[in-house]
Amino acid sequence: MSSDQDHLKETDTEARFEFKKEEKSAFEAEKGLTEETIRVISEDKDEPEWMLERRLRALEQYHEMPMPDDWPGAPDISEVDVDEIVPYIRPDIETRGGVDDWNDLPEEIQDTFDKLGIPEAEKNALSGVGAQYESEIVYQNMQERWEEKGVIFCDMDKAVQEHEEIVEEYFMTKAVPPSDNKFAALHGAIWSGGSFVYVPEDTTVDMPVQAYFRMNSDGMGQFEHTLIIAEEGSEVHYIEGCSAPKYSEFNLHSGGVEVFVKEGAHVQYSTVQNWSKNTYNLNTKRAIAEADATMEWVSGSMGSKATMLYPSTILKGPGATDNHITIAMAGEGQDIDTGAKVYHNAPDTKSTIESKSIAKDGGRTNYRGLVHMANGAEGASTSVECDALMFDNDSTSDTMPYMEIQENEVDVAHEATVGKIGDEDVFYLQSRGLDDDDAKQMIVAGFIEPLTEELPIEYAVEMNRLIELEMEGSLG
Amino acid sequence: MSTQVHTNLTEAQVTQISEELGEPEWLLDTRLDALDALGDLEMPEVIRTPGRDWTNLDALDYETLVDPLEWEQEKDRVDADGVDVLSWSDALDQHGDLIEEQFGSVVDSQRDYLTALSTALFSAGTVIYVPEGVDAEDVKIRTTMNSRSLFNYTLVVAEESSSVTILERQTTGEKLDGDQYYSGVVEVVAEENSSVQYGTLQNLDDDSYNFQVKRGHADTYATLDWIEGNIGSRLTKTNVETRLLGDSSESKIVGAFFGHEDQHFDIASRVWHEAEHTTADLITRGVLDDAARSVYEGVQDVGREAWDTSSYQRENTLMLSEESEADASPKLIINNHDTEASHSATVGQVDAEELFYMTSRGVDPESAKNMLVEGFFVPVFDEIAVDELREDLDDLIVERLQA
Repeated sequence: MSSDQDHLKETDTEARFEFKKEEKSAFEAEKGLTEETIRVISEDKDEPEWMLERRLRALEQYHEMPMPDDWPGAPDISEVDVDEIVPYIRPDIETRGGVDDWNDLPEEIQDTFDKLGIPEAEKNALSGVGAQYESEIVYQNMQERWEEKGVIFCDMDKAVQEHEEIVEEYFMTKAVPPSDNKFAALHGAIWSGGSFVYVPEDTTVDMPVQAYFRMNSDGMGQFEHTLIIAEEGSEVHYIEGCSAPKYSEFNLHSGGVEVFVKEGAHVQYSTVQNWSKNTYNLNTKRAIAEADATMEWVSGSMGSKATMLYPSTILKGPGATDNHITIAMAGEGQDIDTGAKVYHNAPDTKSTIESKSIAKDGGRTNYRGLVHMANGAEGASTSVECDALMFDNDSTSDTMPYMEIQENEVDVAHEATVGKIGDEDVFYLQSRGLDDDDAKQMIVAGFIEPLTEELPIEYAVEMNRLIELEMEGSLG
Repeated sequence: MSTQVHTNLTEAQVTQISEELGEPEWLLDTRLDALDALGDLEMPEVIRTPGRDWTNLDALDYETLVDPLEWEQEKDRVDADGVDVLSWSDALDQHGDLIEEQFGSVVDSQRDYLTALSTALFSAGTVIYVPEGVDAEDVKIRTTMNSRSLFNYTLVVAEESSSVTILERQTTGEKLDGDQYYSGVVEVVAEENSSVQYGTLQNLDDDSYNFQVKRGHADTYATLDWIEGNIGSRLTKTNVETRLLGDSSESKIVGAFFGHEDQHFDIASRVWHEAEHTTADLITRGVLDDAARSVYEGVQDVGREAWDTSSYQRENTLMLSEESEADASPKLIINNHDTEASHSATVGQVDAEELFYMTSRGVDPESAKNMLVEGFFVPVFDEIAVDELREDLDDLIVERLQA
């Protein structure tokens, strides 16, 4: 144990996650959100007319819709002032659609990603890397053997150009329409970058596909869009990681994720989020699962000032399955409001939600979830489990599940517990020779294991490092 | 808005009610303040999720439901040795100072529109005064509603080291044409080391709308338990709440409902832990048949100073029909880490294996199902101290099963 601890300390976690590069951009949109800004973005990207129209329609909806601030116990997002955010910043590199070779990237950007460990992950034979620096993908690599099978993994802007038909059909039309909520509408108007993943019928991508997003500019919002289409009988695991350096001004992250899991397909979507402590993280993520399909969401929310994130799945086809694993950790000044939404709209659909949260140093975590069983969802079942750990008396831990049951032939179970870190557990570990800090870290590592065991090893390691970093402050 | 009745209500009407009951000045003032506030108050909060209002109180036509100067009712009060169980006019004569001190100390008369309406217009009700050290069992109140609307107000004061069990029954007498509206406020003051169990059995006519606020304060070492049985009415919205204000105080909120036809029950149980070593247990069990719909909200709120809290909540709903619907939201709000808190909620059907076991023992399927449904309520029956409440609730459940 102690050698593991030493090893973790040697990796210099502080330096890995808290650094900032000088800003250098080719193009900076004017502050404020107007139709003109949208037209500039769209024109600059050389987008087809229909995409510009969708952006403008979304902008209208954004202006019409109310802020989601009337929810019970909703985080305070009144400081989010979109007009103050430069919505679009393009990195100053020559290749707009990203480069194929790591060495073609500017040294400065390479350095940033080195600290985040991307090349190592690449070396570990991952099937593709899409790294988003500021608003655009600057690095794309896809192993040839997947390309041969017809798997597409590219940045979203490129997909609009090269796979226009597919994108036009699926982009914010079926899963996350801009009318869903104010921030989905904002996203629809100013989205930029993100990933497009297309897996053809009966194709299994047996290594995770990953994209790494970062923000690195004052007052800048990040609005990447991810669209995943898994055709019948296919299988893919997509990983998105986020880590942003610390800034004095606030940042807004409002991403959109749409996942289409066709009949019998299997998609896992994993995120580890570590936005800087002044970021407002307001995302809309939704999957539609057809007959006998399986959707799995694995989310770790560590960073941000306030997060509102409720990945949702619509179980549309009979026999579809949805699994959620979500871990939230809130420290000083953080309000992590996260959960899951599942709509059982077909017979024999199944869902499980497992939520773990840790609140400490005055932070607040909230599980907010909705399970809806539509009339006709015979034989559907759901099981929700929420466990919360509290470190001190300044913190808050809330649980707010909502269950709507319109069908009688169902099985619905929800369970939640909240407690402090067990004195007896700490005492036991101390009696085995661990000091107080190590004992607590070990208990927390065990508490979140359901998440880490779902992640590839390098993400699990990063997750553990982040937690160690967070814990150092509280146990000091 | 057609749903808002206050535009037709006058100070003269409220004054008339107050005068007929022979009330002191301060109570009339409280009523007039509540009347005055109506224009600014919101309807009681209901849960809304995207595309779904769990209960729609705005849809009721309060203008035709409320008839402020009619309060035909029958009241039977069964007291117990050493306890005063009194009408408002008798209580104001005998315990004027006590009532002035306690009235409105637990239920904010302006917490929402319907509570303020109830405070301004109440004409029926009971004051139960349990003096220090008195142990009393089986206080019973039966209210039979015979008018378009009835506003009932109950105040319970249990002094130090006293104990009392209370059963309140609400029924409809002669059937009127059209809908009826029952509105009840119950305030319980449980002083140091006292013990109060307040049970309600609501079996109003199927054409009535029912709004209830029941709220109590538990002082040091006090125990305040609520039993809430809902069988009747077309729409019921209840709030049953305890504030655990004293160290080592305890509360149980136990609920049972059985909905059929197009009944809608919106049941809320809420507890606030505001002192050290407090314990709460929220248990609700409900059955839904036909097109009945239930909404359940349970809140366990643990305050910053509530060290060493234990707080538990269980809600179970059984659905017997295809058309029935059940919404549930058990909430935990935890601000002190020295807490052991849990909640659980389930929705399901009569267990197929249990049913099979019983039919394999020669019980016909209908009887087997009825026995399992009756048995489903046993955890609630176990909590009821007043035998008559338990027996009556059981009878009503059996009656509904056989209907």
